[in-house]
Amino acid sequence: MNMKLVAKILGKVSLFGFIGFVATFTLYMFNLENKLIYYVIRPLLNKHYDAQVRDKRIV
Amino acid sequence: MKNPIVELIDSKLQKFDPIWQAENGVGGQRSRYYDKTGVAKYREWRGVHDTMVDYGAWLKNVLSMVQMVGSAPVACLKGFWEYRWMGSYLGTFMFIDRLFEGFRGDELKVAHLNMHAIVQSLTKKIALVLANDKRLGGGPLSDKIVPMDEVLPPLFMAGFPDLIPIPLQTLPEFIICDVDQHIEPYYIDVAESFGLPADVCSRCAAETGVAMDDAFPIFGKAMISTNMPCNASEATSMFQRRRIALPDFPATMAMIHNEPGAHPYSAQVLKDCIAFIEKEYGVEYNWDALFARAKHMNEQNQIELEKWDYMKTPYCSLCGIAETLYRLYAWASVNGQEDYFTKTDRKVIKIMRKSYEKKYEPFGGKTRHRAFLWGPSAVYYTDFPTWIQNCWGINIVLNMDSTMGHNMISTDDPEQAIQDLALFSEKGVMRHHAVGGWDNVNAIWEWAKNFNCDMVLFNDNIACKGMLGVHAVMEEQARELGFYFIFIEHDLEDCRTVSRQDMRNCVNQYMSVVLNEKPLDPTIVEFDDSQAY
Repeated sequence: MNMKLVAKILGKVSLFGFIGFVATFTLYMFNLENKLIYYVIRPLLNKHYDAQVRDKRIV
Repeated sequence: MKNPIVELIDSKLQKFDPIWQAENGVGGQRSRYYDKTGVAKYREWRGVHDTMVDYGAWLKNVLSMVQMVGSAPVACLKGFWEYRWMGSYLGTFMFIDRLFEGFRGDELKVAHLNMHAIVQSLTKKIALVLANDKRLGGGPLSDKIVPMDEVLPPLFMAGFPDLIPIPLQTLPEFIICDVDQHIEPYYIDVAESFGLPADVCSRCAAETGVAMDDAFPIFGKAMISTNMPCNASEATSMFQRRRIALPDFPATMAMIHNEPGAHPYSAQVLKDCIAFIEKEYGVEYNWDALFARAKHMNEQNQIELEKWDYMKTPYCSLCGIAETLYRLYAWASVNGQEDYFTKTDRKVIKIMRKSYEKKYEPFGGKTRHRAFLWGPSAVYYTDFPTWIQNCWGINIVLNMDSTMGHNMISTDDPEQAIQDLALFSEKGVMRHHAVGGWDNVNAIWEWAKNFNCDMVLFNDNIACKGMLGVHAVMEEQARELGFYFIFIEHDLEDCRTVSRQDMRNCVNQYMSVVLNEKPLDPTIVEFDDSQAY
């Protein structure tokens, strides 16, 4: 019974680990996070930064 | 014995390896990039083993980022919203990819060990700073942080164990310029909009612009400014202290630091600085606390000196930017205060010893020239050493800033310790071979000879009036001494004046016209990365 439970848990952990590996390796290998940052996130942030009113002065 | 499945995958996917592509004339490093943007269609395939090493390092760095946001989620989000320079840190992964293009085997392992040390340290610093930034609401440590000029090595501050010295300009100006070439031109323009001339050192202009744009995080009760490394730094320190408007102590280290009379002066400056912090922060200096951290710095410097022995040979797995950037960050920002760096150094030196024993040559043994790089380097082109190795087989074995203060600090005598710290601090960032007298500049030939270099690269900051004067003298000496010598023009933090391609052209022209050599990878001789980070 205990062995069955251990095997079940190990099986689930292995499955999630495998899915996690496939997902993260896909993200990594196809450079997906950088594409998202370059083409989506940074342009949006830059719009915000360009619209900011900052306290520009020497002293 | 190689795994047969791994061997099969390697043989099937070899055509995606940019080094194999360049060797077989069917592409190269640039083949997988979208034009201008610096965005890669896919990450570099390095064979199963090295790709897994790179992927593992990427995961570790992602985890550090997640930990950073997790430790101060609201502050981090506020920081991204408030500070333009925070947005640029999103380019970190692209930056790391650029840094280690073409790295394989031992040099890849060592590079990632060093890089992760920087990433884990920097992410913790960012979270700490933003969580205690008074502009964003402040935190419990807001008044325990001591903002100090990034060029003044903070080791002496270890004697205040309850205070946290933070290099003020590093986050909004120095490190971020490495990651994103387009961020500092914004701040330079702010400074110039107030009348700062356009032909001054762009690092100092950028710092001034950050101050005038009100983009420094706000913390601390008093700050330490400095005159280091040079006169331009003195000027920007004055702008910054006026805008930040905290009580400040200008730690003016001796400029002619080779003169015997300079050291007592610098030692006194450090003593006065300590007295200032004691008064402003209501704390007492603890020599035992300093000695504990000085032991770490001493060990790091001892390991550094051993690294140099391996760097003098072709069998060194620590090379190029993996050495330069790590030494700069470890010395200037960490300066013995973090155990992680001592542990990293111990791991790296073990790998270097093994690489030497098995006569491992990095970059597939394709290095054709060994170069000493006189800096400071164009920080908008931090991966220049990687490019020059991949394109022309020039391995930058050592650079000027790696020779910073490497004297041992006394760990039992306060008076000796302060003398040692003075000498240590005088030979700081951009100082050891740039100021202090002609001998220091001229010493590069001795360094190049001792490191068995046949080439000297001279980073020619076109806005640095101090070094413009020695241009012709250095050329003459290179000719007399028989070194290959290339001036690489740059504008330090302003990529608009001299672009990355302009810098590459300095090398391209010399290598093709003077030396008549062919590039290892023709796809990276000329390419447009004007819109890349």
